Amino acid sequence: MAAFLAVWQLAAALVKSNLILPRPWEAGLALWHLLGGAGFWGAVAGTMLRVLEAFAFSLCFGLGSGALSGFYPEVKAFMSPFITGVRATPVLALILLAMFWFPSTQVPVFSAVLMAFPVIYTSAETGGHAAEQRLVQMAELFHVPKTTIFWRLRVPSALPYLFSGAKNALGLSWKVVVAGEVLAQPRMALGTGMQDARLSLETPTVFAWAITTILLCGLTEYFFGLLATKLSAKFRQMEEAPDRRGEQ
Amino acid sequence: MSLSVKNLQKSFGSLHVLQDVSFEMEDSSIVAILGPSGCGKTTILNILSGIMRADSGDLAGFEGKRFSYCFQEPRLLGWLSAEDNLRFALSSLLRFRKESSSLEWRIERFLRESGLFEFKGYRPNQLSGGMQKRLALARAFAFPSDILLLDEAFSAVDLRQKIELMRAFLRLWADEKPTVIIVSHDIHDALFLADQVVVLSQRPARVEGSLHIDLPHEKRTFASPELSRFEVELYRLLGFDHLDNPVPRC
Repeated sequence: MAAFLAVWQLAAALVKSNLILPRPWEAGLALWHLLGGAGFWGAVAGTMLRVLEAFAFSLCFGLGSGALSGFYPEVKAFMSPFITGVRATPVLALILLAMFWFPSTQVPVFSAVLMAFPVIYTSAETGGHAAEQRLVQMAELFHVPKTTIFWRLRVPSALPYLFSGAKNALGLSWKVVVAGEVLAQPRMALGTGMQDARLSLETPTVFAWAITTILLCGLTEYFFGLLATKLSAKFRQMEEAPDRRGEQ
Repeated sequence: MSLSVKNLQKSFGSLHVLQDVSFEMEDSSIVAILGPSGCGKTTILNILSGIMRADSGDLAGFEGKRFSYCFQEPRLLGWLSAEDNLRFALSSLLRFRKESSSLEWRIERFLRESGLFEFKGYRPNQLSGGMQKRLALARAFAFPSDILLLDEAFSAVDLRQKIELMRAFLRLWADEKPTVIIVSHDIHDALFLADQVVVLSQRPARVEGSLHIDLPHEKRTFASPELSRFEVELYRLLGFDHLDNPVPRC
């Protein structure tokens, strides 16, 4: 962190223009002013809600369709062109199109769902196959009920893939929501604040909004990591390193 | 003879594994299938259990029988404790009122019998290799079955653990006496445990011969003179003409 700040400070000193690259302390000062401003916390809450909304929709659609694709090749064949198409579509094109279809508050959410959903879909589909075939064979030989196989064998095997995909999707949701806000300009949004600051040529304030976005993204990823660890421990209980306590 | 396997044949692509395998066995007996590594012993167990289909051949007496299987590798769920691994495998018993009441009792009993009761809360990665094998064996016995299949259940452990495992096996078997089919490449597994030994040839496997060992288990000890005549006969069936000069027949 200190090294990053030092590089930033050095680069800003070389550029010598806070319009192009402000110094770290200038961005910090702008952030301090923002924190006391009237619209800051509303913008934080608005963007946070949009990100969580987009993430929740992506999670529901991605898990549902991904799991179905993992089990049924017909669903996979149906979803495949759609997923490939969405992956290849540039984010900005998607946001611009969404601006024709949705009110400004929903444009960032719709765009983020479309971008994050394929990430979760892929991890759910891969996770659906993750259970070791030998273990499934063992369970079937012992006539273990299908629901028990699902909850105690397939879900724990899929969790690492799901958590990894969901974490990536969460980061992506932040990026796309803020990008959508910059273009769609909804009320109470980090992206709107960023765009307003850009139009007023207040580069340190643009940096301050960007720093706020990064911090919030890091914070939600951190809490998601905690939740994932707890869930993982509940299902798998494998966080501990192997310690062959029973070795005789 | 209540169970029979006739003219079993199986190939995987161009690899001909079972050529013509036929043998018969008594109900509630322990049968060992002995043969060199890679000759198709596991394939026979997989066919008998229904995991795999034979290309041709007949099985008689296996219909409607409930199988239990101790696989070559323990196949334990790494995120469940020893106790929960057993509970998972026995969860189908919850469907039946009579058996569901005995579920917890069975888990405790088979953990005790396999010497793992103190380790019931341990996960597989916290157990030694030998203990994992014992847990897999306990799971196979704990599941109520008519036919129990054991695939190299006593291999890859040291001699002390092997003897412990075999003792545990005999204790567990004596209680409900399911028909047991043991697959092994080790002649001692067959000598110590089996009532009948079926010897297979190199791949593609066919039955070289069958030997009945009519000696009570308590008389079967290492270097026991009573066992030596059976041992000599088994070596002969395996293609070794004499113990002092164990050169395989060509």
